[in-house]
Parts: sequence; C-alpha cells; structure tokens
Amino acid sequence: MRVLKLWRYPTNWAIFRLDDRLLLILMAIIVGNCSGVASVILNRSLLAMSGWLHHFRSHWWVFVLPAIGAALSCLFLEKIVKEGAGHGVPEVIYSVSRYGGLLRFRSSFSRLISSCLTIGTGGSAGPEAPVVISGAAIGSNIAKYFSLNDRQRVTLVGCGAAGAISSIFNAPIAGMVFAIEVIVGEWKSVNIVPIAIASVAGTEISRILQGNQIPFGHHLFKIDLLNVFACLGLAVLAAAASILLTRMLRSMHTISHKVSGPLWLRAAIGGCAVGIIGLFLPVVLGEGYHAVEALIGGRYSQGLVFVALASFAKIAATALTLGWGGSGGIFAPCLVIGSLVGVTYHHFLSVIWSSALWANEGYYALLGMAGLISGMLQAPLTGIFLIIEITGGYEVILPLILVSAVTTTLCHYIEPASYYLKDLVEHGHLLRPGTDARVLSDLNVPELIERDCIIVKQNMLLRDFIHIVQKSHRNYFPVADDKTGNFLGIIHLDDIRPYLFNPVMYDAVFLGQIMNTRVEVVHPNDDLLEVLRKMDVKGLFSMPVVMNNRFVGLISKATILDQYRKELMVQTSH
Amino acid sequence: MDHQLLHIFRNTPVGRETLLQSIYFCKKVGASPVIYVPKSTKFLMYFENDVVQIDLDSSYLTAPETAVAHATELVEAGGLNVAFLEPKHYTASTLPDIPTTFDYMCCPRSVSDLTSKIGLGYIGPRVRRIVRSARFPVLITSSVFKPWKSIAVFFGGSANAINALRLGFQISRVSGMPLDVFTQVENSSPESYRQVVKDENLEEEMDRYVNDWHFFENKVFEENLYDVPHDAIVVLGAFGHGVIRNFVFGSKMEKIQSTLSNSLLIAGPNYTSIH
Repeated sequence: MRVLKLWRYPTNWAIFRLDDRLLLILMAIIVGNCSGVASVILNRSLLAMSGWLHHFRSHWWVFVLPAIGAALSCLFLEKIVKEGAGHGVPEVIYSVSRYGGLLRFRSSFSRLISSCLTIGTGGSAGPEAPVVISGAAIGSNIAKYFSLNDRQRVTLVGCGAAGAISSIFNAPIAGMVFAIEVIVGEWKSVNIVPIAIASVAGTEISRILQGNQIPFGHHLFKIDLLNVFACLGLAVLAAAASILLTRMLRSMHTISHKVSGPLWLRAAIGGCAVGIIGLFLPVVLGEGYHAVEALIGGRYSQGLVFVALASFAKIAATALTLGWGGSGGIFAPCLVIGSLVGVTYHHFLSVIWSSALWANEGYYALLGMAGLISGMLQAPLTGIFLIIEITGGYEVILPLILVSAVTTTLCHYIEPASYYLKDLVEHGHLLRPGTDARVLSDLNVPELIERDCIIVKQNMLLRDFIHIVQKSHRNYFPVADDKTGNFLGIIHLDDIRPYLFNPVMYDAVFLGQIMNTRVEVVHPNDDLLEVLRKMDVKGLFSMPVVMNNRFVGLISKATILDQYRKELMVQTSH
Repeated sequence: MDHQLLHIFRNTPVGRETLLQSIYFCKKVGASPVIYVPKSTKFLMYFENDVVQIDLDSSYLTAPETAVAHATELVEAGGLNVAFLEPKHYTASTLPDIPTTFDYMCCPRSVSDLTSKIGLGYIGPRVRRIVRSARFPVLITSSVFKPWKSIAVFFGGSANAINALRLGFQISRVSGMPLDVFTQVENSSPESYRQVVKDENLEEEMDRYVNDWHFFENKVFEENLYDVPHDAIVVLGAFGHGVIRNFVFGSKMEKIQSTLSNSLLIAGPNYTSIH
C-alpha cells in the first residue's frame, strides 16, 4: 500500500526532490507518447472512415453524409459524453489561464470521436484542434493523477498539445512552438525543455506507427527578388481571407443559435449545406489534404475564377461545419484555404503581368498556407515552422517570414485577438502568466480582509470613542447598529478631527451623527479587479467588506499591494 | 456569520425538502445559504487538483420562472437573508464554472439521477467526486426534512476521522447541540482510540463537547448503527482509504450511508477545517 502511495506522489521521490525539472521531463515523455498515440488513432480512423465511405461518393444522396456525420458528432458530444463545450483550443487556453490547466478526463477522447464523425463524413474541419485538446487533457489528467502542482500541470498541458501537433504533422518544432506560443504563452526554459521533449516523443511515436514522411511532398522553387516582393500582396490577401473566415465562423455561430431546434439538427443543417457545396466543389469536403498536395505540386489545373470560387466555398463550408455545431478544428481548413488563396493570387499575377517570371504556383500555395495560419492564430512562428516542416521547403523561409509577419500584423490591426482568443479576451478570461490580471485572479477578497477592526455602535458618545481610538492603531472604525448588528457606516479619524479640540462636544456628539453612511462596500465574492477599480475611481485607500449587512473586515490597497507582490514572486519565480 | 453554504436549488417538492435542510443547517451553524438556480443541466466545479463536471438531472430545470421566488420564500421564512449565485465565468457558453470557495455544500444523495432512484445505499457519482475533491464538508441530506437535535460523529482513528471529529466539535460549538462519538472497535481496544485522540491534542475538546463516546463491540457494524439517534446529524470522514483497501475490507462510510437515513455531513480527504 505504501508503495502505491509513493507511486502516486512522485514529487516525494528522492531523485525528483533534487530537481523537479527531471520529473517534468519524465512526465513529458509519457504525455508526449500518449498524445502522439491519440493523434495516430484519429489519423488512422479518418483514413479508415474515408475509405469506407468512398463507395458512397457516387450516389446522388451523398450530400447528406456530412449532415449525418455532424448530427452524430453533436449527439455524441451532447448526449453521450455531455461535453457542452466548443471545438477545444479556447477551452484549453481558458483552463491554463484560470485554473492551472485543469481539464476533464472525458476531453481526452471525446473530440477524437466527434471530429472523426464530422470530418470522416465530409465536414470541412481539421483533426488538429481535437488532438490538441485530447493531448492537453491527457497531460492535465496525468498531472492530476500524480498530484503535480498548477505550474507543472500547465507545462504538461503544453506537452500534450505539443506532442499531438508534432505527431499529426510529423513536425516537432511546429508542435513545440504552437504549444508555447498559443497554449502556454510563456517562453521560459521551465516550459520549453519538457515541451520540446514531448514534441520529440510525439513525433517519434508517429514515425514508428506511420512512417517518417512529411505530409506534403517537397518541391524546389526558383525564387527571385520579384517573387519575394510579390508575396506582400499575398500577405494582404491572406489577411483578408483570415478575417473573412474568422467573421464567418462567428456569424454562422450566431445565426445557428437563432434557429430553434435541437443542436444535432442545427449541425445536420450545416452539414447538409456543406454536402451540397461539395457536390459542385469537392475540394471543400473533409480536411482537404489531397487538395493541398495538388496545389503545392502545381497539379491543380483550374483557372483563376474557379480557384477563387473554391477559396470562398471552403471558407463558407468551414464556417457552416464548425459554426453550426460540427466538431473539428481550423488548422486543416486554414491550410486548404491558404493554398487556394495563394494559387488564386498566382493566377491573378499571371493574368495582369504575364511576361514576368513568376515562381511556380506551389510557392504561393505554401506562402498562402503560412499566411492563413499566422492570420487566424496570430501566431507567426507557428505558421512559419509548420509550413517549413510539413513541406520541407526551407528555401522559402524568407518570403515565409515576410508573409507571416505582415499577415499577423494586419490581422491584429483589424481583429486584435486571434480566433482562438477572441471570446476569452472579450470575457476577460485570457490571463497570461505574469500579467496584472493573472496575478489578481489568483487573489481573492476573503484572503485579503483585515479583521482586526474595532466595531463601534451608533449610540456611542465621542468621549468613549476617543478612548477606543487611543488604544487602536487603525484609522477606520466601522459603525454597527446597537440592536441588529447591521453595518451602518464608517468613521475615519478625519471625521472626528473638528471635535477633538473642543471637549465640550465630547459628551454631546454621538457616533451616529458623524459617521459616513455613504460608503462604497465590498462583498467577499467581488472580483479584486473590480474592487481596485472602485478604489481608483473614488480615490479610496480602504473599503469595508460587508456580507448580509454585517461588517466582516476592511480591505486596503496596502494589503492588496503586499499580497500582489508575493503572488507575483510566486508566479515568476521559476 | 461569514461562512457560506452552497445549495443547488431544485424547484420540486424534493428540492424543497433539501433546501429546508440547508436552511436549518445554516441557522444552526451560523452560515448563510448561497443558492444557485441552474439554467443549464451542466456546470463545472474547479477544485484544487480536480475539475468535476456536474450533469444535473433535468428536474433541476423545472419551472425556472418560479424557482427564484420559491427559494426566496423558503429562505426568508427561515429567517435568513437570501443570496443567489450568478456564475461569473464560463468554460463554454452552456458550461458555467461554480466557485468552490464555500465553507459547506449541500447535496441530495444524487444530483445527476432521477429522484426516483435516490435511496439508502446510493450516493451518486458526482456527489462522490465533490466529496473527494472538496475542501469543504458536504451535507448530504435525508430525503425528507427533519430537524436534527444532536450530532453523531463516527470516529475510526484515521486522519479523515480526526478531521470529522474536529468538524463535529466545530458544529457542536456553534450550534450548541450535544455531540456523541461512535467508534466501531476493530482489532484493537478502546484505549487505542483514546490514545489517537490524545496524540492529536483533542482531549480538551473531547471533554468539553462530547456527551458520550460509544464503543461498538459487536462485530456487525450495521447492527450497531441502531444506537445512533434518529434525529442526529451524522458527521464522518470519507474516502480516506485507497480503492484496493476499500474493495478488500469494505468502507465504513458505505455501510453508514446505506443503513442510516439521517442527514450526513461528510468530510472528504481534501477537507480543511474552517475556523
């Protein structure tokens, strides 16, 4: 029994007591492997499902397949696993921001199954966000099982996300960068080392189980200065596509909520619409990796108008799938839309300036992919490293950096928060480590209450009060009702100053006559941020905390600052 | 009076009984009830090292238009101030986060099953998760409101039992109710239990608060439980042992909850006493 207890608490092992980074590295290997396996399972399931459903593609009713998939996915999430949450990545960031990376166990498998149903039947979504939440939930639950602390748990959540992305794309650097840039939001060695190791573990698992190959074929491009400058125009186009996709996703979500009916029915409506689009433009169906391969390889032979139309159609299909209740992520759609936008741009350049020596359309497809990823995620490093790793195209690094940087900047200017972070920022839930909001979120009013106050009664004479003041070290004195004990007001030393040098008043003035009754009060459940805002607006240094009309204590700026510093030191000490 | 009890209100006759228990408990221990009227059947509770999703039985959403009025009426009739909890944070739009910083929480035996399933011997999985993870004790109410007149603490000598004993002292101190301690003597003498109390420096409190310390010598624990007053609130620790030990030797908490119909105040393994 003792051995079992010791096993559950590895932080007590002698080797890990020396340096807990060793523990994190061990855990990172476990988490990276588990999330890598989860990615491989989803990948294989999608392949199996698309192979199984391939026979039905020739039927006229094929457009209902995405509807059935989306409805089943929705029913699975709502009725069987009772998830009640969105497509995942914002939930992971939210839990990292606010609850030390605590994620439900069911999240480690629920999105794998639901996204398999949605994408496998033709829904326009990607498997990456589902594997990210699965990996993150695996990391969180392993940390929970071994009773690790919040900080270690957050790192393991990052490890899970890194392992998942690394495994699904066979791209360890992109996985690592994504986890740190998007999920954890803190570039510190205490995070970077375990996350890097988890990325390696996830990638290795994928290579062992699926073979070592880059997802998209490597192509050589002849790039001159003209093509480097031309990518600036593509960056603008990619930014526009990113903004359009972000807004369409949100508007579809809003529209779908206006439709009365069960969630599965809404998902089915969205899926059906995607199926109908897919009848005319099959490129919009599924995760679309085959289309990306063709676009990069220059084998997508359609003209300017058709490719532009396909870009819009894919944006619409993704918004319909995800906005109406289907399950999946935006990574793969971004790659498809980005490559379509890139090829559209190439065709456009070829039309308006046909005599120039433009690079192959695959080059622009690559840049478009990086632009869309960077624009949607507002994470330029993730965009750059992902595209380099999944295409092996290191020679395009300079224009890739340029497109990612410009797209991110433009998108940030128009939409200050990325698609993943928009809701969190709007609701004040994005609390990155070491920020003011994060420090304050870890403090609460009850732990800051100063309770050593002397409560006086309203019928007390000034003379008696002066005796109390002599013994007290405080400037504020709460006044309570004689009979009920209810809080009535507060007396500051300044309030009695006019009477102090006039002893005649000592037996003539009652505290009820001089107390300040128009006092801003705080409830123990109030947010500290709100309390500080009140103090700033009213120029207050202390406020009484009142609950059920009873005085509980005082909260002061000095105590808040003191605790704030301590909390900041705790949060930034690693 | 700055202690708070979280109550998830169910706007049904069964829910009314549960709320009456909460109100009575609050009056006795000097706590204020904080009532959450759920708007969806799911919510999350983030504890220190666990997140628990509560999937409520759909009866919790019964007649939402009268729920607040019914709860207010009952609490005010009990002479307490009513406070409703409005979730400030949401993990997803239909998934509110309910704070876990309360001093007590009141639950029926199950929150996620139909009320027809609730009975002796059954504590729902969600309620168990809350007890396991919470820093506060959980009041698991009997099916019908019955004012309790005394406190019965089950003490088996474990760390959790010590916590339960301290909780019993605290309830006895603030409520002024008499307290009895019950111990099933297992493979050791009553002296060994007294020694545990002595080692924990609880002798003074034992003398001050405890009316009588009953030692059950009869090996059949369930038969001994008849001696527990029918109108006592039963305070006990739970989930202090591992799954394997419980599987092999059985759990006292399970035997108590499947035999006694009294209200139970359970201190889980993460319970930290309040002052």
